[in-house]
Amino acid sequence: MLTKSAAKKFFIIGTVVCSGCFVLLTVDTISRVPKQTNADKITPQVIHGKDLWDHNNCMGCHTIMGEGAYYAPELTKVYERRGEVFIKSMLKDPASMYPGQRKMQQYNFTDEEINSLVAFLKWVGEVDLNGFPAKPDMGPAAAKAATMTLSQIPTPTRPVVYDQVCVACHALQGQGGVVGPALDGVGTRRAHDYLVSWLRDPLAVKADSKMPKLPLTDEQIQELASFLSSQK
Amino acid sequence: MKFKTQKIAYYFFAVCMLLLSLQIVYGFIMGFAHMGYDNLHSIIPFHTARATHTNLLVMWLLAGFMGAAYYIIPEETDRELIYPQLAIVQLVALVVVGVTAIIGFHFNWWEGRKFLEIPRPLDYLVVVDVLLFIFLIGGTIWKGKRYSTTSIVLFFGLLTAALLYLPGMIPTTNQTMDSYWRWWVVHLWVEGVWELIMGAILSFLLIKLTGVDREIIEKWLYVIVGFTFLSGILGTGHHYYFIGTPRYWLMIGGFFSALEPLAFLGMAMYAIAMAKKGGRQHPNRLALTWTIGCAVMSFVGAGFLGFAHTLPQVNIYTHGTLVTAMHGHLAFWGAYAMLIFAMIAYAMPQLTGRKLFDNGWSVFAFWTSNIGMVAMTLAFAVAGVAQVYLERRMGLDFLQVQKEIEVHFLGLVLAASLFSLGIFAFIWIFIKYGLPKGKIENVSAAN
Ligand code: HEC
Ligand code: HEC
Ligand code: HEM
Ligand code: HEM
Ligand SMILES: [Fe+2]
Repeated sequence: MLTKSAAKKFFIIGTVVCSGCFVLLTVDTISRVPKQTNADKITPQVIHGKDLWDHNNCMGCHTIMGEGAYYAPELTKVYERRGEVFIKSMLKDPASMYPGQRKMQQYNFTDEEINSLVAFLKWVGEVDLNGFPAKPDMGPAAAKAATMTLSQIPTPTRPVVYDQVCVACHALQGQGGVVGPALDGVGTRRAHDYLVSWLRDPLAVKADSKMPKLPLTDEQIQELASFLSSQK
Repeated sequence: MKFKTQKIAYYFFAVCMLLLSLQIVYGFIMGFAHMGYDNLHSIIPFHTARATHTNLLVMWLLAGFMGAAYYIIPEETDRELIYPQLAIVQLVALVVVGVTAIIGFHFNWWEGRKFLEIPRPLDYLVVVDVLLFIFLIGGTIWKGKRYSTTSIVLFFGLLTAALLYLPGMIPTTNQTMDSYWRWWVVHLWVEGVWELIMGAILSFLLIKLTGVDREIIEKWLYVIVGFTFLSGILGTGHHYYFIGTPRYWLMIGGFFSALEPLAFLGMAMYAIAMAKKGGRQHPNRLALTWTIGCAVMSFVGAGFLGFAHTLPQVNIYTHGTLVTAMHGHLAFWGAYAMLIFAMIAYAMPQLTGRKLFDNGWSVFAFWTSNIGMVAMTLAFAVAGVAQVYLERRMGLDFLQVQKEIEVHFLGLVLAASLFSLGIFAFIWIFIKYGLPKGKIENVSAAN
């Protein structure tokens, strides 16, 4: 029968051995993390972004690397998913990007602060997270990905910024958001020049427009306008 | 109650009841926000409510552990507590720091690291306060007439809990390392040293309530905490799967954390076996009910529901979803909230000399709060599993999925109302017990 002193020995030896292994593994992890996380890319701007991230408790609504709160979207891959234009507008005025939705805190960030947060999110998106977040493996999204790789269909000639930003509010061929009107056939309704000035500043064209002014470059605007004009 | 200074425990327990009530209010704010009613957003946005909810939880659990220690240690060491006035100072300081932190959260003053939101200057005050507590408990054991295993394990648990607060303050500019050290606090607390505290308090209660021989109970205490550390320390790896740390953590974390439920299973079997074995029928059956309830529910919430998402193959989909919230609620409730409730249920009649444990309301409080919490867990589970399938596996947009699962938060709020009813019954009885008998004199001076 087990005695009390044997039980005590089991406790002490088990604890010491496991703690020792844990410390050794920690030392090894510390030596490998810089490579896996691209520590050389942690610029002062990224550090500033992380400070802002921490001191505004973004983790109190969002998750990052899967850690945080479950109220707002996971942001690890947001840079890839939404791109700079979207994130910048979001941080300037969250309500304009998702009108009538669950609310994000309105911060009064300066442009410099917004750039730092974007740099931080970009860095996070490039860390090797051993496969997280996993690609959806069921339903339409997975099926689409599978056929794409099978038949090597080239991606449609939609501008990248369309898929990152516009799709959040507009539908095209039944896919996308419902905040703005569907853009099918917009090329027949609107002239190229109108589209350019609209994308520069919707509010200048229509004072009560619900579409926010987006920080797009001229190049992006031209690309988008040509794309939209081709939607007949 | 054998020693006058044990009365200090009462004030710690009273603080627990107060902070718990406030925690529940903030829980409801979040429940409604998830349902789409975020009307309070401009005053108490979600992140403020969340930081307040979880920090109040940690704070009242710590206050509860301290109260339990101030009750148990004099009895186990067979002497009065040293410097009882300092214990009151220590409580007041803890409350002041806590309240300052909570108010700060409402004014964007925090560190924004989940569970460790308390701003850095206040961290140092917490450390000082806990050191004072450790000094009072340690000094009492040192001067005591008896070194019991229960008091040593309890002390060791409290001391390591205090020390493990420190890695959370290691400065780093890398989000991955930030998260790495954060788990040294969060995981090594709840799945490590707090289990030591839990084991020790359960042993104390079982010794008192069942009358089983101390030697037998304390032998099994060593076995259980042995299993806890054997699995729990390297089990930390289950948080290192997907944060930018090496791949080997998937194997190490997966293997060891899968063993963690054994410690909780052991705890449950041990409590039930000792209760069966015990010949003496202690009149306070209610305290025994809470004690066994704690051991059983901690197995369900931490062991079973923890295992449900601890393997990397599962965790890659559930990581950072409402599935985690489901597990978090029942685990904290079963393991630590019920532990403190058990301690209060045992200590109150001793402290005040009144016997309200046969009262129908006490039984009502136990069952209503537990049924309510299980129902809350189910609501989180349905919402969480739906989220995992729709968002993570089918690739639907986050907000679209949140719309789909809004209705389960109605379920959550209803279940939480039932739960709160049970808690209010418990608090009502607590108030009816009244204050402890007599004043706390400076007994240590006489020794
Ligand atoms: C009060 C909760 C809350 C806080 C705090 C918060 N957010 Fe958000 N955030 C949201 C919600 C909710 C959304 C989803 C869009 C919406 O409904 O407005 C969102 C969306 C976003 C998006 C767009 C994500 C996407 O996939 O479209 C970005 C980027 C973002 N937030 C960044 C931040 C940053 C950076 C911070 C900290 C400075 C922050 N958020 C703080 C609630 C919050
Ligand atoms: C935050 C949501 C939102 C985003 C993002 C957004 N839009 Fe809009 N958009 C709207 C709304 C709302 C309208 C309707 C404005 C009105 O008429 O008041 C609109 C209108 C338009 C129109 C005019 C349609 C017509 O028939 O007159 C065009 C063209 C357009 N958007 C293109 C774009 C492009 C291209 C992008 C991406 C760069 C984009 N939008 C991003 C919300 C958005
Ligand atoms: C009393 C003991 C326990 C408590 C109080 C507890 C509580 C929690 C909490 C609050 C979280 C969320 C933490 C965060 O994201 O910051 C969490 C996460 C987790 N817990 Fe536990 N837990 C306990 C025991 C266990 C056990 C025994 C297991 C495994 C068998 C386990 C497995 C997990 C896993 C895998 C996660 C990560 C979830 C994710 O990836 O999002 N837990 N736990
Ligand atoms: C009674 C009413 C309660 C309600 C309505 C409630 C609701 C909530 C909600 C909505 C969240 C946030 C989830 C998110 O990030 O989206 C949360 C978090 C949390 N609550 Fe509660 N709660 C209640 C009581 C409790 C109690 C009694 C405990 C502890 C015993 C508790 C422990 C926690 C923990 C640990 C978290 C963090 C979970 C995680 O990060 O995974 N809550 N609660
Ligand atoms: Fe853990």
